[in-house]
Amino acid sequence: MRARTRDRFPAQFVARYSTIIPDFEPFLDAMCRPLPRTFRVNTLKGTREQAQELLGAFAPEPLPWYELGFSVRDGAGLGRTLAHFLGLVYVQEAASMVPPLVLGPRPGERVLDVAAAPGSKATQMAAMMENSGLLLLNDISFERVRALVGNVDRAGCLNVAVCRTDGMLLARRVAGTCDRVLVDAPCSSEGTMRKTDEALERWSVRGIQRFERVQKGLIAAGFDALRPGGEMVYSTCTVAPEENEAVVDYLLARRPDAELLPVALPGLKMRPAVAAWDGEEFAPAVANCRRILPQDNDTEAFFVARIGKRG
Amino acid sequence: MRHVRHVLERFGIPEAALAGFEFEPAPAAVFVGTAEVMGFDAVRPLRRGLRFCRLYPHSVKPTSHAMQVFGREATRNRVAVDEEQAVVLANGGEVRIEAEAENGFVLICWREFVLGTGLYKRPALRSQIPRFRPVG
Repeated sequence: MRARTRDRFPAQFVARYSTIIPDFEPFLDAMCRPLPRTFRVNTLKGTREQAQELLGAFAPEPLPWYELGFSVRDGAGLGRTLAHFLGLVYVQEAASMVPPLVLGPRPGERVLDVAAAPGSKATQMAAMMENSGLLLLNDISFERVRALVGNVDRAGCLNVAVCRTDGMLLARRVAGTCDRVLVDAPCSSEGTMRKTDEALERWSVRGIQRFERVQKGLIAAGFDALRPGGEMVYSTCTVAPEENEAVVDYLLARRPDAELLPVALPGLKMRPAVAAWDGEEFAPAVANCRRILPQDNDTEAFFVARIGKRG
Repeated sequence: MRHVRHVLERFGIPEAALAGFEFEPAPAAVFVGTAEVMGFDAVRPLRRGLRFCRLYPHSVKPTSHAMQVFGREATRNRVAVDEEQAVVLANGGEVRIEAEAENGFVLICWREFVLGTGLYKRPALRSQIPRFRPVG
Protein backbone atom coordinates (compact mmCIF):
# COMPACT_ATOMS: atom_id res chain seq x y z
CA MET A 1 0.00 0.00 0.00
CA ARG A 2 1.19 3.50 -0.86
CA ALA A 3 2.42 5.42 2.20
CA ARG A 4 -0.02 8.15 3.12
CA THR A 5 1.12 11.68 3.66
CA ARG A 6 -0.53 14.81 4.96
CA ASP A 7 -0.84 16.09 1.38
CA ARG A 8 -3.89 13.88 0.99
CA PHE A 9 -6.01 16.28 3.04
CA PRO A 10 -7.61 19.19 1.15
CA ALA A 11 -6.50 22.67 2.25
CA GLN A 12 -10.07 23.43 3.27
CA PHE A 13 -10.09 20.39 5.57
CA VAL A 14 -6.88 21.53 7.25
CA ALA A 15 -8.11 25.11 7.56
CA ARG A 16 -11.42 24.02 9.11
CA TYR A 17 -10.01 21.75 11.75
CA SER A 18 -6.61 23.13 12.67
CA THR A 19 -8.26 25.57 15.07
CA ILE A 20 -10.65 23.21 16.84
CA ILE A 21 -8.77 19.92 17.00
CA PRO A 22 -6.25 19.99 19.81
CA ASP A 23 -2.79 18.66 18.88
CA PHE A 24 -3.62 19.06 15.21
CA GLU A 25 -0.21 17.94 13.92
CA PRO A 26 -0.35 14.59 15.76
CA PHE A 27 -3.97 14.29 14.55
CA LEU A 28 -2.88 14.58 10.90
CA ASP A 29 -0.01 12.16 11.46
CA ALA A 30 -2.34 9.62 13.07
CA MET A 31 -4.80 9.99 10.19
CA CYS A 32 -2.02 8.90 7.82
CA ARG A 33 -1.02 5.81 9.79
CA PRO A 34 -2.66 2.43 9.08
CA LEU A 35 -5.47 1.52 11.44
CA PRO A 36 -4.88 -1.53 13.65
CA ARG A 37 -7.28 -4.43 13.07
CA THR A 38 -9.56 -4.95 16.04
CA PHE A 39 -12.27 -7.41 16.95
CA ARG A 40 -14.86 -7.95 19.64
CA VAL A 41 -15.72 -11.23 21.32
CA ASN A 42 -19.39 -12.12 20.88
CA THR A 43 -20.48 -13.60 24.20
CA LEU A 44 -23.65 -14.98 22.62
CA LYS A 45 -21.40 -17.57 20.94
CA GLY A 46 -18.64 -18.21 23.43
CA THR A 47 -16.21 -16.80 25.92
CA ARG A 48 -13.29 -14.40 25.81
CA GLU A 49 -10.99 -17.30 26.68
CA GLN A 50 -12.30 -19.46 23.82
CA ALA A 51 -11.73 -16.60 21.37
CA GLN A 52 -8.22 -15.99 22.66
CA GLU A 53 -7.39 -19.66 22.32
CA LEU A 54 -8.79 -20.02 18.79
CA LEU A 55 -7.08 -16.84 17.61
CA GLY A 56 -3.82 -17.35 19.50
CA ALA A 57 -1.84 -17.26 16.24
CA PHE A 58 -2.89 -13.62 15.78
CA ALA A 59 -1.49 -12.72 19.23
CA PRO A 60 -4.54 -10.61 20.19
CA GLU A 61 -3.86 -7.77 22.61
CA PRO A 62 -6.77 -6.70 24.85
CA LEU A 63 -7.96 -3.12 24.52
CA PRO A 64 -7.19 -1.31 27.79
CA TRP A 65 -10.75 0.01 28.12
CA TYR A 66 -12.91 -2.95 27.04
CA GLU A 67 -12.41 -6.52 28.19
CA LEU A 68 -14.10 -7.98 25.09
CA GLY A 69 -12.17 -5.86 22.57
CA PHE A 70 -8.82 -6.93 21.09
CA SER A 71 -6.36 -5.58 18.57
CA VAL A 72 -4.02 -7.59 16.38
CA ARG A 73 -0.85 -6.42 14.69
CA ASP A 74 -1.55 -8.30 11.48
CA GLY A 75 -5.24 -8.91 10.94
CA ALA A 76 -4.96 -10.41 7.46
CA GLY A 77 -7.01 -13.60 7.44
CA LEU A 78 -8.98 -12.82 10.60
CA GLY A 79 -12.22 -12.81 8.63
CA ARG A 80 -11.42 -16.25 7.22
CA THR A 81 -11.02 -18.04 10.54
CA LEU A 82 -13.44 -20.56 12.00
CA ALA A 83 -13.82 -18.27 15.03
CA HIS A 84 -15.15 -15.57 12.72
CA PHE A 85 -17.29 -18.03 10.78
CA LEU A 86 -18.87 -19.20 14.05
CA GLY A 87 -19.69 -15.63 15.04
CA LEU A 88 -17.49 -15.95 18.10
CA VAL A 89 -15.69 -12.77 17.05
CA TYR A 90 -16.84 -9.71 15.13
CA VAL A 91 -14.27 -7.62 13.30
CA GLN A 92 -15.12 -4.11 14.46
CA GLU A 93 -13.18 -0.88 14.65
CA ALA A 94 -12.29 -0.10 18.27
CA ALA A 95 -13.93 3.34 18.44
CA SER A 96 -17.11 1.85 17.03
CA MET A 97 -17.35 -0.30 20.20
CA VAL A 98 -17.70 2.86 22.30
CA PRO A 99 -21.31 4.01 21.62
CA PRO A 100 -22.93 0.74 22.84
CA LEU A 101 -20.70 0.79 25.93
CA VAL A 102 -21.77 4.35 26.71
CA LEU A 103 -25.43 3.53 26.06
CA GLY A 104 -25.24 0.41 28.27
CA PRO A 105 -28.34 -1.56 27.19
CA ARG A 106 -29.44 -4.09 29.82
CA PRO A 107 -31.18 -7.47 29.64
CA GLY A 108 -34.93 -7.24 29.14
CA GLU A 109 -34.98 -3.67 27.85
CA ARG A 110 -36.53 -2.25 24.69
CA VAL A 111 -33.77 -0.69 22.62
CA LEU A 112 -33.94 1.06 19.25
CA ASP A 113 -30.99 1.32 16.86
CA VAL A 114 -32.16 3.82 14.28
CA ALA A 115 -29.41 3.30 11.67
CA ALA A 116 -28.20 -0.19 12.52
CA ALA A 117 -26.52 -1.59 9.39
CA PRO A 118 -24.16 -3.33 8.96
CA GLY A 119 -24.67 -4.40 12.57
CA SER A 120 -21.44 -4.14 14.54
CA LYS A 121 -22.99 -2.02 17.30
CA ALA A 122 -26.32 -3.85 17.02
CA THR A 123 -24.76 -7.26 17.63
CA GLN A 124 -22.69 -5.79 20.47
CA MET A 125 -25.88 -4.52 22.09
CA ALA A 126 -27.66 -7.85 21.57
CA ALA A 127 -24.85 -9.51 23.51
CA MET A 128 -24.97 -6.85 26.24
CA MET A 129 -28.71 -7.56 26.55
CA GLU A 130 -27.91 -11.29 26.84
CA ASN A 131 -30.27 -12.09 23.96
CA SER A 132 -33.32 -10.85 25.87
CA GLY A 133 -35.85 -8.05 25.54
CA LEU A 134 -36.35 -6.31 22.21
CA LEU A 135 -33.67 -4.78 20.05
CA LEU A 136 -35.33 -2.95 17.20
CA LEU A 137 -32.92 -2.57 14.29
CA ASN A 138 -33.49 -0.36 11.31
CA ASP A 139 -31.82 0.86 8.19
CA ILE A 140 -33.21 2.58 5.16
CA SER A 141 -31.12 0.81 2.52
CA PHE A 142 -32.13 -2.61 1.23
CA GLU A 143 -28.52 -3.64 0.56
CA ARG A 144 -27.42 -2.56 4.01
CA VAL A 145 -30.32 -4.38 5.66
CA ARG A 146 -29.25 -7.57 3.87
CA ALA A 147 -25.81 -7.21 5.39
CA LEU A 148 -27.40 -6.47 8.76
CA VAL A 149 -29.52 -9.63 8.67
CA GLY A 150 -26.46 -11.69 7.71
CA ASN A 151 -24.53 -10.31 10.65
CA VAL A 152 -27.27 -10.71 13.27
CA ASP A 153 -27.74 -14.31 12.08
CA ARG A 154 -24.04 -15.06 12.34
CA ALA A 155 -23.95 -13.47 15.79
CA GLY A 156 -26.89 -15.62 16.96
CA CYS A 157 -29.19 -12.73 17.93
CA LEU A 158 -32.64 -13.84 19.05
CA ASN A 159 -33.83 -10.53 20.47
CA VAL A 160 -33.86 -8.54 17.23
CA ALA A 161 -36.61 -7.27 14.97
CA VAL A 162 -35.19 -5.89 11.74
CA CYS A 163 -36.96 -3.12 9.82
CA ARG A 164 -36.20 -1.31 6.59
CA THR A 165 -37.74 2.10 6.69
CA ASP A 166 -37.01 5.75 7.32
CA GLY A 167 -35.52 5.91 10.82
CA MET A 168 -37.56 9.00 11.63
CA LEU A 169 -40.83 7.28 10.75
CA LEU A 170 -39.96 4.19 12.75
CA ALA A 171 -38.93 6.23 15.80
CA ARG A 172 -42.29 8.01 15.67
CA ARG A 173 -44.13 4.68 15.59
CA VAL A 174 -42.50 3.63 18.85
CA ALA A 175 -42.59 7.09 20.44
CA GLY A 176 -42.27 7.14 24.22
CA THR A 177 -41.68 3.38 24.57
CA CYS A 178 -37.94 2.76 24.36
CA ASP A 179 -35.61 2.37 27.33
CA ARG A 180 -32.61 3.23 25.18
CA VAL A 181 -31.98 4.53 21.69
CA LEU A 182 -28.83 4.54 19.62
CA VAL A 183 -28.59 7.09 16.85
CA ASP A 184 -25.31 6.26 15.15
CA ALA A 185 -26.07 8.72 12.45
CA PRO A 186 -25.11 8.55 8.79
CA CYS A 187 -22.30 11.08 8.46
CA SER A 188 -19.52 12.39 6.27
CA SER A 189 -17.26 9.73 7.86
CA GLU A 190 -14.19 11.93 8.22
CA GLY A 191 -13.02 9.61 10.98
CA THR A 192 -12.72 6.74 8.52
CA MET A 193 -10.21 8.61 6.37
CA ARG A 194 -7.59 6.75 8.33
CA LYS A 195 -8.89 3.45 6.99
CA THR A 196 -9.86 4.29 3.43
CA ASP A 197 -9.71 7.17 0.96
CA GLU A 198 -13.41 6.85 0.16
CA ALA A 199 -14.63 9.55 2.56
CA LEU A 200 -11.72 11.78 1.56
CA GLU A 201 -12.56 11.56 -2.13
CA ARG A 202 -16.15 12.69 -1.63
CA TRP A 203 -15.40 15.19 1.14
CA SER A 204 -16.90 18.67 0.82
CA VAL A 205 -18.42 21.25 3.14
CA ARG A 206 -21.62 20.95 1.15
CA GLY A 207 -21.71 17.23 1.85
CA ILE A 208 -21.37 17.90 5.55
CA GLN A 209 -24.30 20.30 5.41
CA ARG A 210 -26.41 17.66 3.65
CA PHE A 211 -25.84 15.17 6.45
CA GLU A 212 -26.63 17.77 9.09
CA ARG A 213 -30.28 17.96 8.02
CA VAL A 214 -30.76 14.18 8.26
CA GLN A 215 -28.92 14.03 11.58
CA LYS A 216 -31.14 16.67 13.16
CA GLY A 217 -34.24 14.77 12.09
CA LEU A 218 -32.87 11.48 13.44
CA ILE A 219 -31.73 12.85 16.80
CA ALA A 220 -35.12 14.47 17.46
CA ALA A 221 -37.09 11.39 16.38
CA GLY A 222 -34.75 9.10 18.34
CA PHE A 223 -35.21 11.24 21.44
CA ASP A 224 -38.98 11.16 21.05
CA ALA A 225 -38.84 7.35 20.97
CA LEU A 226 -37.48 7.34 24.54
CA ARG A 227 -39.71 6.80 27.52
CA PRO A 228 -39.29 9.35 30.32
CA GLY A 229 -36.13 8.40 32.20
CA GLY A 230 -34.69 6.68 29.09
CA GLU A 231 -31.28 7.33 27.59
CA MET A 232 -29.99 7.89 24.09
CA VAL A 233 -26.53 7.94 22.54
CA TYR A 234 -25.91 10.07 19.49
CA SER A 235 -22.68 9.20 17.72
CA THR A 236 -20.87 9.77 14.45
CA CYS A 237 -17.53 8.82 12.97
CA THR A 238 -16.80 12.37 11.89
CA VAL A 239 -15.19 15.48 13.33
CA ALA A 240 -17.33 18.18 11.69
CA PRO A 241 -19.01 20.25 14.45
CA GLU A 242 -22.05 20.76 12.19
CA GLU A 243 -22.67 17.00 12.39
CA ASN A 244 -21.87 16.68 16.07
CA GLU A 245 -22.13 19.48 18.63
CA ALA A 246 -24.50 21.53 16.45
CA VAL A 247 -26.88 18.56 16.15
CA VAL A 248 -26.91 18.01 19.92
CA ASP A 249 -27.36 21.76 20.45
CA TYR A 250 -30.33 21.64 18.06
CA LEU A 251 -31.95 18.92 20.15
CA LEU A 252 -31.41 20.76 23.43
CA ALA A 253 -33.01 23.88 21.99
CA ARG A 254 -36.11 21.96 20.89
CA ARG A 255 -36.64 19.39 23.62
CA PRO A 256 -36.63 20.98 27.08
CA ASP A 257 -36.76 17.53 28.70
CA ALA A 258 -33.42 16.55 27.13
CA GLU A 259 -30.32 16.63 29.30
CA LEU A 260 -26.69 15.91 28.46
CA LEU A 261 -25.17 13.20 30.66
CA PRO A 262 -21.47 12.65 31.28
CA VAL A 263 -19.54 10.22 29.06
CA ALA A 264 -16.63 8.27 30.52
CA LEU A 265 -14.93 4.95 29.88
CA PRO A 266 -12.02 4.24 32.20
CA GLY A 267 -8.83 3.75 30.17
CA LEU A 268 -10.14 5.50 27.05
CA LYS A 269 -8.85 9.01 26.44
CA MET A 270 -11.57 11.36 25.23
CA ARG A 271 -11.51 15.08 24.50
CA PRO A 272 -14.10 17.71 25.38
CA ALA A 273 -16.59 18.88 22.80
CA VAL A 274 -16.13 22.02 20.76
CA ALA A 275 -17.75 25.02 22.52
CA ALA A 276 -18.43 27.14 19.42
CA TRP A 277 -18.26 26.88 15.65
CA ASP A 278 -18.60 29.31 12.82
CA GLY A 279 -19.53 32.15 15.17
CA GLU A 280 -22.17 30.13 16.96
CA GLU A 281 -21.80 29.30 20.67
CA PHE A 282 -23.31 26.01 21.72
CA ALA A 283 -25.35 25.53 24.92
CA PRO A 284 -22.99 25.03 27.88
CA ALA A 285 -24.34 21.49 28.44
CA VAL A 286 -22.92 20.44 25.04
CA ALA A 287 -19.54 20.40 26.81
CA ASN A 288 -20.56 16.97 28.18
CA CYS A 289 -20.20 15.44 24.70
CA ARG A 290 -16.92 13.70 23.95
CA ARG A 291 -14.59 13.44 20.97
CA ILE A 292 -12.34 10.45 20.36
CA LEU A 293 -9.26 11.43 18.38
CA PRO A 294 -7.11 8.95 16.45
CA GLN A 295 -3.81 9.94 18.09
CA ASP A 296 -5.11 9.25 21.62
CA ASN A 297 -6.15 5.60 21.45
CA ASP A 298 -4.95 4.52 17.99
CA THR A 299 -8.52 4.38 16.63
CA GLU A 300 -10.68 6.17 14.11
CA ALA A 301 -12.11 9.54 15.11
CA PHE A 302 -15.53 9.42 16.79
CA PHE A 303 -18.04 11.66 18.52
CA VAL A 304 -20.32 10.52 21.35
CA ALA A 305 -23.13 12.29 23.19
CA ARG A 306 -25.19 10.70 25.98
CA ILE A 307 -28.60 12.23 26.36
CA GLY A 308 -31.22 11.55 29.01
CA LYS A 309 -34.96 12.22 28.90
CA ARG A 310 -36.08 13.72 32.18
CA GLY A 311 -38.70 11.54 33.85
CA MET B 1 -45.22 -26.65 17.36
CA ARG B 2 -44.57 -30.05 15.76
CA HIS B 3 -41.66 -28.95 13.55
CA VAL B 4 -39.80 -27.59 16.53
CA ARG B 5 -40.53 -30.74 18.52
CA HIS B 6 -39.20 -32.80 15.65
CA VAL B 7 -35.88 -30.92 15.73
CA LEU B 8 -35.60 -31.22 19.52
CA GLU B 9 -36.26 -34.94 19.39
CA ARG B 10 -33.90 -35.68 16.53
CA PHE B 11 -30.98 -34.00 18.27
CA GLY B 12 -31.91 -34.64 21.89
CA ILE B 13 -32.03 -30.93 22.67
CA PRO B 14 -33.74 -30.39 26.04
CA GLU B 15 -36.85 -28.22 25.94
CA ALA B 16 -35.27 -26.07 28.65
CA ALA B 17 -32.81 -24.81 26.01
CA LEU B 18 -35.73 -22.96 24.41
CA ALA B 19 -37.19 -21.57 27.64
CA GLY B 20 -38.15 -17.93 27.28
CA PHE B 21 -38.24 -18.03 23.48
CA GLU B 22 -41.25 -18.11 21.22
CA PHE B 23 -41.77 -19.46 17.72
CA GLU B 24 -43.49 -17.92 14.75
CA PRO B 25 -44.44 -19.84 11.63
CA ALA B 26 -43.66 -18.22 8.29
CA PRO B 27 -44.01 -19.54 4.75
CA ALA B 28 -41.73 -22.60 4.60
CA ALA B 29 -39.93 -21.72 7.82
CA VAL B 30 -40.22 -21.24 11.57
CA PHE B 31 -38.57 -18.33 13.37
CA VAL B 32 -37.47 -18.16 17.00
CA GLY B 33 -37.08 -15.07 19.14
CA THR B 34 -37.80 -13.54 22.50
CA ALA B 35 -41.41 -13.00 23.56
CA GLU B 36 -40.89 -9.24 23.21
CA VAL B 37 -39.69 -9.64 19.62
CA MET B 38 -42.55 -11.93 18.65
CA GLY B 39 -45.13 -9.71 20.35
CA PHE B 40 -43.87 -6.45 18.85
CA ASP B 41 -46.60 -5.01 16.63
CA ALA B 42 -46.01 -1.27 16.36
CA VAL B 43 -44.63 -1.88 12.88
CA ARG B 44 -44.26 -4.98 10.73
CA PRO B 45 -40.57 -5.92 10.75
CA LEU B 46 -38.86 -7.61 7.82
CA ARG B 47 -37.52 -10.19 10.19
CA ARG B 48 -38.12 -11.28 13.79
CA GLY B 49 -35.43 -13.26 15.62
CA LEU B 50 -33.61 -16.09 13.90
CA ARG B 51 -34.82 -18.66 11.35
CA PHE B 52 -35.03 -21.90 13.35
CA CYS B 53 -35.82 -24.34 10.58
CA ARG B 54 -36.85 -24.54 6.97
CA LEU B 55 -39.85 -26.63 6.01
CA TYR B 56 -39.81 -28.85 2.95
CA PRO B 57 -42.63 -31.12 1.76
CA HIS B 58 -41.01 -34.20 3.30
CA SER B 59 -38.49 -32.87 5.76
CA VAL B 60 -37.63 -30.23 8.33
CA LYS B 61 -34.13 -28.78 8.10
CA PRO B 62 -32.79 -26.99 11.17
CA THR B 63 -30.79 -23.94 10.15
CA SER B 64 -27.09 -23.75 10.86
CA HIS B 65 -27.39 -20.39 12.62
CA ALA B 66 -30.07 -21.66 14.99
CA MET B 67 -28.16 -24.86 15.66
CA GLN B 68 -25.01 -22.87 16.48
CA VAL B 69 -27.06 -21.43 19.36
CA PHE B 70 -29.39 -24.27 20.44
CA GLY B 71 -27.38 -27.26 19.22
CA ARG B 72 -24.78 -26.88 21.96
CA GLU B 73 -27.01 -28.93 24.25
CA ALA B 74 -27.75 -31.64 21.70
CA THR B 75 -27.11 -35.25 22.71
CA ARG B 76 -27.91 -37.15 19.49
CA ASN B 77 -26.96 -37.10 15.83
CA ARG B 78 -23.85 -35.06 16.39
CA VAL B 79 -20.86 -35.66 14.15
CA ALA B 80 -17.53 -34.51 15.49
CA VAL B 81 -15.01 -33.30 12.91
CA ASP B 82 -11.40 -32.17 13.07
CA GLU B 83 -10.22 -28.73 12.02
CA GLU B 84 -9.34 -29.73 8.48
CA GLN B 85 -12.79 -31.26 7.97
CA ALA B 86 -14.41 -28.25 9.65
CA VAL B 87 -12.84 -25.92 7.10
CA VAL B 88 -14.03 -28.09 4.19
CA LEU B 89 -17.57 -28.17 5.58
CA ALA B 90 -17.64 -24.46 6.43
CA ASN B 91 -16.84 -23.86 2.77
CA GLY B 92 -19.83 -25.93 1.72
CA GLY B 93 -17.94 -29.14 0.95
CA GLU B 94 -18.29 -32.81 1.79
CA VAL B 95 -16.16 -35.20 3.88
CA ARG B 96 -16.25 -38.93 4.49
CA ILE B 97 -16.55 -39.92 8.11
CA GLU B 98 -17.79 -42.86 10.21
CA ALA B 99 -19.99 -41.55 13.00
CA GLU B 100 -22.60 -42.81 15.43
CA ALA B 101 -25.40 -40.91 13.79
CA GLU B 102 -28.48 -41.77 11.80
CA ASN B 103 -28.65 -40.87 8.16
CA GLY B 104 -30.36 -37.55 7.62
CA PHE B 105 -29.73 -34.14 9.13
CA VAL B 106 -26.97 -34.02 11.74
CA LEU B 107 -25.11 -31.39 13.69
CA ILE B 108 -21.51 -30.82 12.63
CA CYS B 109 -19.47 -30.30 15.78
CA TRP B 110 -15.97 -28.91 15.97
CA ARG B 111 -14.38 -28.73 19.40
CA GLU B 112 -17.11 -27.44 21.75
CA PHE B 113 -18.92 -25.57 18.96
CA VAL B 114 -21.67 -26.51 16.56
CA LEU B 115 -20.60 -25.41 13.08
CA GLY B 116 -24.00 -26.00 11.57
CA THR B 117 -26.19 -28.56 9.89
CA GLY B 118 -25.00 -31.39 7.67
CA LEU B 119 -26.67 -34.14 5.71
CA TYR B 120 -25.28 -37.53 6.61
CA LYS B 121 -25.49 -40.59 4.37
CA ARG B 122 -22.87 -42.87 5.82
CA PRO B 123 -20.01 -42.30 5.25
CA ALA B 124 -20.61 -39.04 3.35
CA LEU B 125 -21.24 -35.89 5.35
CA ARG B 126 -22.37 -33.03 3.14
CA SER B 127 -22.43 -29.50 4.45
CA GLN B 128 -25.76 -27.68 4.60
CA ILE B 129 -24.11 -24.57 5.96
CA PRO B 130 -24.81 -21.40 3.98
CA ARG B 131 -21.62 -19.99 2.55
CA PHE B 132 -20.98 -16.64 4.17
CA ARG B 133 -17.42 -16.01 3.14
CA PRO B 134 -14.46 -18.33 2.46
CA VAL B 135 -12.88 -19.97 5.48
CA GLY B 136 -9.27 -21.09 5.77
